[in-house]
Amino acid sequence: MTTTQTPKLDPEEAPPSPSAPRSRRSHRLQRFGPAYLMLLPFAVLFLVFGIFPLGRSFYYALTDFNGIRPPELVGFQNFSELILEDDRFHTALWNTLKYVVASVVLTITMGLILALAFKTTSLRDRVMRTIFFLPSVSAGVGIVLVWRWIFMVDSWGLANTLSRYFGGGNRAWLAEPSLSIPILITMAVWGGAGYAMVLFVAGINAIPDELYEQASIDGATKLRQFWHITLPLLRPVTVFVVITSTIGAFQVFEPIYLLWNRSAAVVGGPLDSALTIVPYLYDMGFNRFELGYASAIAWVLFFIIFLVTLVQLRVTKTFKEF
Amino acid sequence: MSVKTLAAADQVSRKPGDRINWGAEAARLPLYLFAVVVLIPFWWMIIAAFKTVPELMMNPPTFYPRDPSADSFYDPAFSGGADPGAGHVEGVFQRWTGVAGGFFRFAANSFGITVVVTILSLLIASLVAYMLTKTAAPGRRTVFVVIISSMMIPWQVSLIPNYLLTSDLGMTDSYLGYVIPGLAKAFVVFFLVQYLRSIPDDLVHAARVDGASEWRIWWQIILPLLRPALAAMAIFVALAEWNNFLWPLIIIRSDELYNLPVALSSLSNSIVSSPGSMGVAMAASLLATLPTVVFFFIFQKHFIKGIALSGIKA
Repeated sequence: MTTTQTPKLDPEEAPPSPSAPRSRRSHRLQRFGPAYLMLLPFAVLFLVFGIFPLGRSFYYALTDFNGIRPPELVGFQNFSELILEDDRFHTALWNTLKYVVASVVLTITMGLILALAFKTTSLRDRVMRTIFFLPSVSAGVGIVLVWRWIFMVDSWGLANTLSRYFGGGNRAWLAEPSLSIPILITMAVWGGAGYAMVLFVAGINAIPDELYEQASIDGATKLRQFWHITLPLLRPVTVFVVITSTIGAFQVFEPIYLLWNRSAAVVGGPLDSALTIVPYLYDMGFNRFELGYASAIAWVLFFIIFLVTLVQLRVTKTFKEF
Repeated sequence: MSVKTLAAADQVSRKPGDRINWGAEAARLPLYLFAVVVLIPFWWMIIAAFKTVPELMMNPPTFYPRDPSADSFYDPAFSGGADPGAGHVEGVFQRWTGVAGGFFRFAANSFGITVVVTILSLLIASLVAYMLTKTAAPGRRTVFVVIISSMMIPWQVSLIPNYLLTSDLGMTDSYLGYVIPGLAKAFVVFFLVQYLRSIPDDLVHAARVDGASEWRIWWQIILPLLRPALAAMAIFVALAEWNNFLWPLIIIRSDELYNLPVALSSLSNSIVSSPGSMGVAMAASLLATLPTVVFFFIFQKHFIKGIALSGIKA
């Protein structure tokens, strides 16, 4: 799809309408020359590193390719293997699904609650918002290492200390398969709730006060006001937060790579319990050099994200019509 | 929007005659607890960075450094060699002896790359945004549609071809290979276009009538008008670049080209077997995280405004 559109990107090369006389064409070029020059730096980089790789990636997805031998066309074999046979990929899909659903639902619920509780410009609310937003600012490798340190197996690890304090025993947090996804979800909510909160606060404060005043005069309770005014009017913001955080969650990589890697060649946690799509792509592509197979994984990721986004837009549209 | 509406919301929640709503305050209690939970990892990182090695392994752990020390950053007692003696590890600034500047080199790499990527990507995107919104150049709609559509495709799709392309161009393991493939950012164009559309064309028309060149209009009229949007995008781009991990992880081989995230990752790999060194990892994490937090406190308003804008425009 993209390859056919590619030539149009540079309008200078767009075929002039046959009826246009030559002089008009050169006049146009003269008039819009600077405009096209302005497009040029971005267009070149965008075509070379943004559009052209898409076509190449799709081609690789149809090949058996290890980066050294020339790619060998195998049709849709990579895809059928991924979808029908590859147990590791199925594990990755299932883990990703669990992670995405839980982290998105919890992050957004938490974000909305925080926004409702701390939406004003009072000093207290501003301080609280700053605290909740800090994790979004500092997200990165450094913070993942902190979590790794918190979940250390040793009895002096913070997670173990708290676990003992609340009556549980020491656990090997990062070695127990059943804990991998909950740990990832915890990190996601910790890191993302503040971001959702900021968006919700903006949305809440954009709702005209008159609506609430009118509703109170009519005797509507706070709960009814929330249900019939706040929630419906927050719909656009909610759609945005849900979609962007879903897309982000599907692409999770860093926490998995950094929490569980004992060496660069091991990705995915104990028994692949933390293996999601992108770490699997990385493993296939850059540890095993199955570049064709890894490209197929990338396209499956695209299709999943695309479908999920469509469904989400569809669902919210249905809600709107109610 | 914010200041006025925020103030208005404030008044609504404290109408005269309203008593303090103790029920609502009680309901907030778990949220204050959550605030503490949010801060704990930061506190845990900071105190670990300033603990001594024996204190790091105390059970139960201490919740503030009893005997604060900067050994995790630089331990004068560490002499090198196979057996540095119990209680001593190689501090952050003592590692990577093969790299001139050691840890500072990584910080400089991160900083330089972040600045270059932010400035260049915003400049070229602002040119495109101007071209798309304020000129009548034929084909601009197609360009916009292609740019927007590309945003739907996760960047991992082009990861492998870009890796191969970068290596075909001989740019792996270089700053060029690091910076250039990521410069054309579709979402920045999208955001700037949305912003420019809300600005009337009169100024541009007037300038054209006065004979100003397109380049001059872009530089003297559009860029100043775009400032709030550019500030918001600069924050997004800079933060993402500062934390950029997967791309440099793939294309950078030499230690001296590491950015902070890659350096941290390699550090964590090398000390994973010795828990006593976790203080060093935390010191390094602190050094890598602190600039973003400081940056946030300086530009807090732009941060919040930018995020709010992105949500409302969508």
